[in-house]
Amino acid sequence: MKRMIVALAAAMAVAAPAAGWAQGKYVHANNSGYDNLDPHAIFDVGRAASRINFYDGLYRWVDNPPKLIPWLAESHTASADGKTWTFKLRKGVKFHDGTEMTADDVIYSIERMLATKKGASSLFLPIIAPGSTKAPDKHTVVFTLKESSAIFISTVPEILVVNSKLVKANEKNGDWGAAWLAKNVASTGSYKLKRYDPAIGFVGERFKDHFAGFPAKAFDEIEFRTVLETNTRVQGLIKGDFHGTDGYLPYDQILRLKQSQNVQILEQESMRVFYFSIHNGRSPMSDPHFRKALAYAFDYDGFIKDILKGAVARNPGPNPNNLWGAPKDLKGFTYDLEKAKAELALVKEPLRPITIGTLAGFSETEQAATLLQNAAKKIGIEIKIESAPWQVVQSRMQDREKNYDMVPLWKSTYYVDPNNWVGELYGSRYLGTRNYSYNKDAELDQWINAALATNDQEKRRALYEKAAKKVAEEAMGIFVYNTKWYGPYAANVQGIRFCPIGSGQDMRWAYFK
Amino acid sequence: MRRLEMILSRLAWFVPTLAGLVVIVFLISNVIPTDPVRILLGENATQEQVEAMRVKLGYDKPLPVQLARHFRDVLLGDLGVSIYTQRPISEDLAKRLPATLELTLVAIALSIALGIPLGVVSALRRNSAVDHALRVVSVSGLAIAAFWLAMELQFLFSMKLRIAPLNNRIDGFGPEAVTGLFIVDSLLSWDMESLRSAVSHIALPALTLALPAAATIVRFTRAGVLEVINSNYVLYQRAMGMPLGLIVWKYVLRNALISTVTQIGLIFGVLLTNAVVIETVFDWPGLGTFAVQSILQSDHKAIIGFTIWTGALIVIVNLLVDIAHSIIDPRGAR
Repeated sequence: MKRMIVALAAAMAVAAPAAGWAQGKYVHANNSGYDNLDPHAIFDVGRAASRINFYDGLYRWVDNPPKLIPWLAESHTASADGKTWTFKLRKGVKFHDGTEMTADDVIYSIERMLATKKGASSLFLPIIAPGSTKAPDKHTVVFTLKESSAIFISTVPEILVVNSKLVKANEKNGDWGAAWLAKNVASTGSYKLKRYDPAIGFVGERFKDHFAGFPAKAFDEIEFRTVLETNTRVQGLIKGDFHGTDGYLPYDQILRLKQSQNVQILEQESMRVFYFSIHNGRSPMSDPHFRKALAYAFDYDGFIKDILKGAVARNPGPNPNNLWGAPKDLKGFTYDLEKAKAELALVKEPLRPITIGTLAGFSETEQAATLLQNAAKKIGIEIKIESAPWQVVQSRMQDREKNYDMVPLWKSTYYVDPNNWVGELYGSRYLGTRNYSYNKDAELDQWINAALATNDQEKRRALYEKAAKKVAEEAMGIFVYNTKWYGPYAANVQGIRFCPIGSGQDMRWAYFK
Repeated sequence: MRRLEMILSRLAWFVPTLAGLVVIVFLISNVIPTDPVRILLGENATQEQVEAMRVKLGYDKPLPVQLARHFRDVLLGDLGVSIYTQRPISEDLAKRLPATLELTLVAIALSIALGIPLGVVSALRRNSAVDHALRVVSVSGLAIAAFWLAMELQFLFSMKLRIAPLNNRIDGFGPEAVTGLFIVDSLLSWDMESLRSAVSHIALPALTLALPAAATIVRFTRAGVLEVINSNYVLYQRAMGMPLGLIVWKYVLRNALISTVTQIGLIFGVLLTNAVVIETVFDWPGLGTFAVQSILQSDHKAIIGFTIWTGALIVIVNLLVDIAHSIIDPRGAR
């Protein structure tokens, strides 16, 4: 707890209030639409900017490696059994309309999430019963969980607090204010909504009474615009029309941007693992020997060094290398067709052509699939590749029968805990939601559930390392690399604090040089 | 009277045409192997959440029942709620329609302003160097892929010459909406800064759309003028010593433009189709970008809504073309 308070103090020191701003407007071009501003309805990475810049949670993720700092809450305590979590709220925090934020607003926010069942609600639906969150006083909130959950504190930043009185006043037909919040903001957040057009984007105006203050030269306004075409975003940044864009551009575009004097590229190792999701519940992928044959048939070095020009770091397991819970002694598979043939010879089930679903518009997934297809052909495995938009691929992956045999994709950071990766991808408690592998392994489940049930960090580390090692060694997926974030910003933008959650779009810390 | 009959007859086809569109798009949308409910709720939704929402939205019903319900809703003017934006689809479309209309109308005006004079010149100087040059340009205009032309124009005028904006519809969010057409609204509010911004922003996307359309108009105008210019009454007027310019303006164009006007009606549909690509490249917040996002999100109802609106637009424009046609050539209304 002391560390958290020190972290907040450091954050506040950077954000000491200063008078007389004249720092203009920061304009960001994003590849995703800002069709909805409701913080409890959206949870995708593409639309993170409106949630982060307009809303506050009880805690907040900052920096890389990510640190959890107290935000609307000053502190918290957890009971010994890990089921009761008590948060002390900061006093005097104001909503944009000047009213005070209290425990009632936090309770309304979590109840709203549980009732509307959208966005980040799936993190809380299994562990918080509606009506179970209480407010002993105006500045205390008590969450009583159905079961102990070590990841609860990591997910608390997703409980974004709305102004309950304002939202209630705009509820229609029991919609929890959904229609109104889709195009309005009711929060304590760093920026107030100034202008919004779902077809264009939004403009936020700095909320001068924000409890955390701002750095001396913080932006007066931020504008996030939807610019779907990559080439247009890149050219706009070079030309000076935008001050920033998304940090996961194709690497050839990053090289192009690096040549411009108007642009700087900030580089950070992120927590976004690229891997092949394998349907472990269907023959012949249910046979570990077949999966290992595929894992030996992927040319990791060729993909990372030649195709991606070394812009990423090899990541042999499901957990990102730069996160605790990633086993340091894990070697991972190497490209070796002889070993692949040897594994294939041990497969008892009849072979059949397998299908890889790739993400249309994400060339890396198509390149990775083609690379595997070519090598697999040499050992006698036929692979068909089907490309479709992410939404099509995703909805098929969530259906055990319709799922592809394999899908190359990234696992992004929704909360910083190994459970976000190895737990969700391979724990059977997440089957039908985030476990696309259809893996059901009793030993793995035992470790993952045990890690969720204890708050002992060292025990958890050991359990997740064992789980990650098993998943990697049995090739339940083919793990390729951990993404580097190349944040493209105008040369005069300073103070960007990249965090894998939010991907450099938390603008309250940034300013013009 | 005959013109009124013609209009009523066209209007009678309006509803069946749109109904056919609804059926076709509904069936195509359901062939795509996606689950709109899963997309709506996102990757974190549990199976229970998905099933509850499926029942709530009626996706648990057999396809014919879903189609019948959708028909009923459309007839009542309710296109449903977008699963992505979570707003009424009609509201989203209405918000974006002016952007597309403005772009398409400016593009049509540009293509007419370029296409008809060049077509006349090409016909009057048949087989000359000018005619050959115009043929090369117009055939090239038809052959060039719209997205490629868009990117080349961006590169030349925005990045190299820096005389045109790269993207967007206007600096900032535009003048207060009266019609939603920024050029018109800027004039209504006498906001010259917004007018300058709106005109400079529309220049490149409109030019990208207009060039292939102008190429078509050049070819049709040329053919029309050539057909008329060799007719006996034109030869008679030339023999009478009437100036060529007057003959072309007063007698040739009216007859030559009959097929061109028909073509302009068809071009409107093509422009709307191309706008899907052009709006994406130029980040133009119109129906085209809405359609792209809806398709990428497998937002079936939004796709159907877009199709109904664009279908209605094309039917209306073609009706207007038929009316114009009947004015230019009253025989057509008989």
